[in-house]
Order: sequence, then structure tokens, then C-alpha cells
Amino acid sequence: MTENTLLQSYSDQPGVWDEMFSQEGVRDHYKNFVGAIQDLSSDEMTHKDEMAKKLFMSQGITFTVYNSGEGIEKIFPFDIIPRIIMGDEWQKIEAGIKQRLKALNVFLKDIYHHQFIIKDGIVPAKLVYSSPNFLREMTNVNVPFDIYTHIAGVDLIRDYDGEFYVLEDNLRTPSGVSYMLENRSITYRIFPDLLPKNNIKPVKHYPDLLLKNLLALANRQNSDPTVVLLSPGIYNSAYFEHTTLARLMGIELVEGRDLVVDNHHVYMKTTRGLQQVDVIYRRVDDDFIDPLVFRPDSILGVPGIYWAYRKGNVAIVNAMGNGVADDKAVYAHVPDMIRYYLNEEPILKTVPTYQLASPENQKHVFENMDKMVIKRTNESGGYGMLIGNAATEQEMENFRRAIEADPRSFIAQPIISLSSTPCYINGVLQPRRVDLRPFALYGPDGIDIVPGGLTRVALREGSLVVNSSQGGGSKDTWVVA
Amino acid sequence: MLSRVADTIYWMARYMERTNGMLRILRTSYISSQEEIFHFSWRSVLNTYSVLHANEIDDIERDSSKVLEHILLDRNNVSSVINNIIRSRECARAVQDHITKEMWQCLNDYYHVIRNSNMQLQVRVGDPVTVLDDLIEHSFSYNGTVDITMPRGEGFNYLNIGKMLERAFLSADILTIKLQELNYELKMPMEAHLRSLLHSLSGYELYYKIYRGTFTPDNVLQMVLYNTNYPHSILYCLQQVSNYFERLNAESLPESYSRLEFLIGKAMNNVKYSNIRAASVEELQRFIYQTRSELAEVANSFNQFYFGNT
Repeated sequence: MTENTLLQSYSDQPGVWDEMFSQEGVRDHYKNFVGAIQDLSSDEMTHKDEMAKKLFMSQGITFTVYNSGEGIEKIFPFDIIPRIIMGDEWQKIEAGIKQRLKALNVFLKDIYHHQFIIKDGIVPAKLVYSSPNFLREMTNVNVPFDIYTHIAGVDLIRDYDGEFYVLEDNLRTPSGVSYMLENRSITYRIFPDLLPKNNIKPVKHYPDLLLKNLLALANRQNSDPTVVLLSPGIYNSAYFEHTTLARLMGIELVEGRDLVVDNHHVYMKTTRGLQQVDVIYRRVDDDFIDPLVFRPDSILGVPGIYWAYRKGNVAIVNAMGNGVADDKAVYAHVPDMIRYYLNEEPILKTVPTYQLASPENQKHVFENMDKMVIKRTNESGGYGMLIGNAATEQEMENFRRAIEADPRSFIAQPIISLSSTPCYINGVLQPRRVDLRPFALYGPDGIDIVPGGLTRVALREGSLVVNSSQGGGSKDTWVVA
Repeated sequence: MLSRVADTIYWMARYMERTNGMLRILRTSYISSQEEIFHFSWRSVLNTYSVLHANEIDDIERDSSKVLEHILLDRNNVSSVINNIIRSRECARAVQDHITKEMWQCLNDYYHVIRNSNMQLQVRVGDPVTVLDDLIEHSFSYNGTVDITMPRGEGFNYLNIGKMLERAFLSADILTIKLQELNYELKMPMEAHLRSLLHSLSGYELYYKIYRGTFTPDNVLQMVLYNTNYPHSILYCLQQVSNYFERLNAESLPESYSRLEFLIGKAMNNVKYSNIRAASVEELQRFIYQTRSELAEVANSFNQFYFGNT
């Protein structure tokens, strides 16, 4: 493919789009970067790789796995070769996500108020009401500025033809943004000067944008509203992200037990008594946020917070009940929503999705199971998933039975091959599959998307599962200005 | 400051101070068990730092190796040193944005050291003193790190209040352990016990300088209870609690502050204006009991008025 040693071993993969190489060699937007590293010896590269690991460990950039009762901290594997996205490609992604998010936000407002989309027959009522994440409690609740999806992490993948597809809209409590920030801060240490030389757009203003949006949501006439980040606590796997974001925004990191509700106002308990809280960026799921309204056994939430929210005395970010919009079965209707609400054609493609509640779809999927990915509509993190071409007969049979018992909980999609990108593994560059999760912030002034996002890598050879809980890692993501 | 954060910092300091105190009593007791006192029994140490039943204590009270393993490394013993370190580290993790990175790293190292299997093997079959010395050194390094890196804000005050309150408890408890070992008979010959008490409370050298090697129970009591130059005396600890507490005035609710100010002042003055002699054993017992209760009342009131745990 090329003449230098580092790139020589890199093998071409038929039917897979590679981010760095085309048939003709290195893609243009990678040339600068490749030029800078191609003459490095493998010792130098390995040194950089080790340095990155040390920096992660010493800065405590870890996630916690609790399997033996006592937490084990692991570093989220990081690959030193950045993933680079061209400027015009990014513009399309940005426009596509903004369009999608606008439509999804209107959908949420609609579905919890007048339900025009159901009355006009665009989305079936059955689909909405059967979603476990549709919250009746949110009906006719007015949220500040009509914004539901303040923070979204939209997962994109690229098929063999180089086209980006939306795989999932994460509209509840998407995580990973701290890794986007940390990855960048590690990259400029291991590849000095490369970021400015390649004209890469910065990402470090993410916390400032987020804080600006959070402050704008405060309802009280107060020049200095109290904004807090509500975390489930140190046992949560994303605790590192919670502390990082709280620190970067200079806001208090609280747990459910730090907050109390009195007369429909939320307060935090401080050593000087109670202090009113105006805005809560919560990283606690809907189910757990108020034991008086949702799961009564939850100790992570705050009793009474739902009513404070409903009365408009506290802003909660993201809004409750968003799960109905990122439900994997509702996903298939997003292009229709865009047409219906915005009168526009969708910019980003969606993966064809079969809802298994329909008998024809079920028949079609059962016949072509080896070419399908089957997912549970209500699971994430790469769990509850069957990849047809890698599954055993027994696994397929189990899924068939589960689908027949509860068809609404499953969808099927054709297997998308996911683009590959070079990773520095065991001293050589090897192709591994990636996705991309840009983070969009929806505030009263509009939608901001920090250029880049989190590129997740399936580090196991041939694997298509990029989730960190399933052996995934991450890469720094560069967007060329 | 969030009540939970204050509470967590305070407990982080208490667990670390307790660890330090326990390591010292284990070290001196182990040495006593090896050289000075014939038929040494760990009974009173076990009574204080384990949750074993009386018959289980009977089984191991003269087996130093088992006792050390139980108090140092047994995860099933809620009061063990390893559990204290784990809890202290969990506290640090929960307030990472309120302590310094160096403190976190120091505690994290401490945690990795005590979980090291070589160290555990050394306790079982090697020389426990080396292990205890290593661990004590880590405690020193933690205290130094706090002193050098921690900003002198609200958090630092809670940290020191926790530390000093715990130290006062430890001094009272270790005094009780030694008195129990003597069966409350403060008559000669008891020099070895007094030496061991002073070693356990890091006061041996100071005592030597002040009293030139004359070991009397009255002098030892005088030092352990009243000497304000001695950082482990109960009076010194209470004075420090009071000092750090005064600094919280601006950040307190007035009613909470006056409540705690009263309790700390009362506990301190009850010690300061007492005159306990070894001759009256009952009075001494009563005094320790009363001081401990007053310390507990201070701790409970912090819990209630500052940490929001009703």
C-alpha cells in the first residue's frame, strides 16, 4: 500500500470503508498527519503509546468496574492514532444532527402535549404508548424554553460506501464527553505541534457552552443561580465524568441525599443550612429520580423533585421522559418526523429498521437472521444484542423465542459494516472498526455541536461492538477547519 | 460547603487518624508480646478493635500472628486497619474535587500498599514490625501531604476537627486498654506497661525529657491527659478541635455554632479543670468515661448540626 515501514503491514479490508486509506493510498485529509508519523521508528511510537497510558493512569482518567464488591479502576483504552474528519463532511454531520435534534425535540413536546403526530397518523399511538420510556407523568408538563434534549450524543457510523448513518439518538444521559476532552489533552502531549499544523478545531469550550445553557435555564430572578450536577455517586461507572464536568464548570457535584424538597422548591444541604437549587444537570435515570413518583425503592433520587420540576421551580437537564424519542423502535420514524415537523428532507441517513411487532417483518427477519443485527429496544451499552453473522444457532434460537414472546421489545437492522481506521496495537497499525458520537448542546440560543466528539473503537479484531463495557476503546477525533 | 462533603472529609480524616493510632498500639503490643511481658494477652486490644465474641477472643488472645492478621487485614472485621484505609479512600474518592490531587494519590498508594500480597505474607510468616513500620510511614506521609498541599479553607478545618477528635478518642481508648491490662491496679512494678503506653501514643521521648526516666503512674497520667505541648494529650486535642472550630464561625448558622461551641468548651474545660491522680482508680475510670461521652456528644452534634444527618 505504501512504502514506509509503519504503514506497510496495514491490510486492506474488502467491503469496509477505511478512514485513512482509499484504493489510491492515504486520503488527503490524513496526509499531513501520516507525513509526521511515517518516519517514526516503532520504538518512538511505542514510547508515545506508553506515555499516553501513563498520563491516563496518573491523571486518574478511569472508569470503575464493580464485580467483586470492591471497585476496580480501569483506564478506558485509548488509541494514539487520531481519527480525522474533513471539514465539509463535518458540516454535513453538524447540519444533520441539528435537524434531527430539532425534530426530536418538537416530537417530545408534541407527544407530551397535543399529539398532532399521532392524530395525523404519522407515528402509531401504539408504538408511543408501548414504549417503557414514555412517561405519562410528563403529559402537559411545560419545560423551560420547550427544550427537552439539552444534551444529546448521537451515534453515527459509516457504511462501506462512506455514507454516514445515524445509529442511535441518545437523548437521556449520554456519557463519554469527558473522554473527548481528556483524549484531546493527551494528544497534544504525545504529538506536539500536530494539532495547530493540521488546523484542527478545538473542543475545550464544551464545558463553557454547557454551563452557559444551564445558567440560562434558571427561573429565579437571581444573578447567580445555583447549578448542580446530580450524580448517583462513586459507585457509578461514569463517576469520573461527573467529577470532571463538575470541576470544569465549577459547579457543585451532589448526590440525591444532598438535596431536599420543601414546598416544591429544591434545596441542597450545606454546612450553613439549606441553599436553593435552580438548575440540576442530572446523571440519574428517570426511573430513579423521584421515589415518590417513579421507582419507590430508589435511593439515588430526591423525593418530591418531580413536583418541584412540574411547577417550574427547578430546571432538570435533560428533561424526564426523553426515552420515548430515542427508543429503538421509534427511531425508524425519525425521518418522517423531520418531514412532518420541519418540512425538510433528512440530511443524515438512518439504518433500515424492522419492527418485529409486525408479522411480515418478523417473517422476513427470521428468514434472514444471519444478515441482521437484532437489538432490544430498551437496552444500551452493547447488551441485549445479536449480530447475525457471528451468532450460534443456539443464540439465534433464543432470540427467536424471546421475540415471539415479546415482539415490541425488539427491532432488527441489516448489518452495517462500520468503517475501519488504523489503530496502533502491538507495535503495528491494524484496522479496527469505529463509530462517532458527537455531543450536541441545545440551549435557548440554539444548538451547538463541539467539532469532534468521541470516536469509539472496537479493539477486538473483527468486532463490531464499540461499547466500553464490551472491550471498546476510544480515539481523539479531529475535525479539520 | 455541602454537608455531605464536610461529613466525608471529616470521616476521611477520622479513619486515617484511627489507622495511625491502631498501627502504633499494634506495634507496641506486638513488641511487648515478644520480649517484655510474659504471657502477654491481646484481650483488651481485641475488645477494642474487633467484633469477635468472647469465646473467639479466648481462642486467639495469645496468638500474636492471628491477632495481627485479624486486626490488620481481616475484611470481615469492620474495625480492621484495611477496612479503615478502604473507607478513607472511598471518602477521598467521593470528595475528589475538594481535596488535592496529591492527597488522593497518597491515599490511593496507601490502599495499594496494604492490599499488596507480599505485605500480607510478611504479616503471616515474616516480621510484622517491618510491615507496621512501613504502614506507619505512609500515615506520616499522608499527614505531611495534607499539611503541605491542602488549602486552608472550610475543608481543612473539618479535616483537622475530625483528626483531633479521633485522636482524643484514641488517647482515651489506648489509656483504657493499658489500664485493663493492669487490671486497674496502678501499683509497682508496672514500668513496662507505662513504657508501652507512652510508645503507643508517641510520647516516650517527650516523657523522658520531662521526667528524666522516673516512671510513675501520676506523671504518665499528667502527660497523657494535660500536657499541652504533647500532641496526643487529651487536652491538647480538645484545644485543637476548639481552634479549628472557631475558624468555621463565618460559615456556620449562628445557632449551630453556639451549640457546638458550648459542647466543645464544656468538654475541654472538664478536662482542663480536673486533677486526676493514679491513687483514685475509680475516679480515673469515671473521668475517662465522662470525657469519652462528651467527645461522643461533640461528634453527634457535628453530625446533626453541620452534616445534616438527623
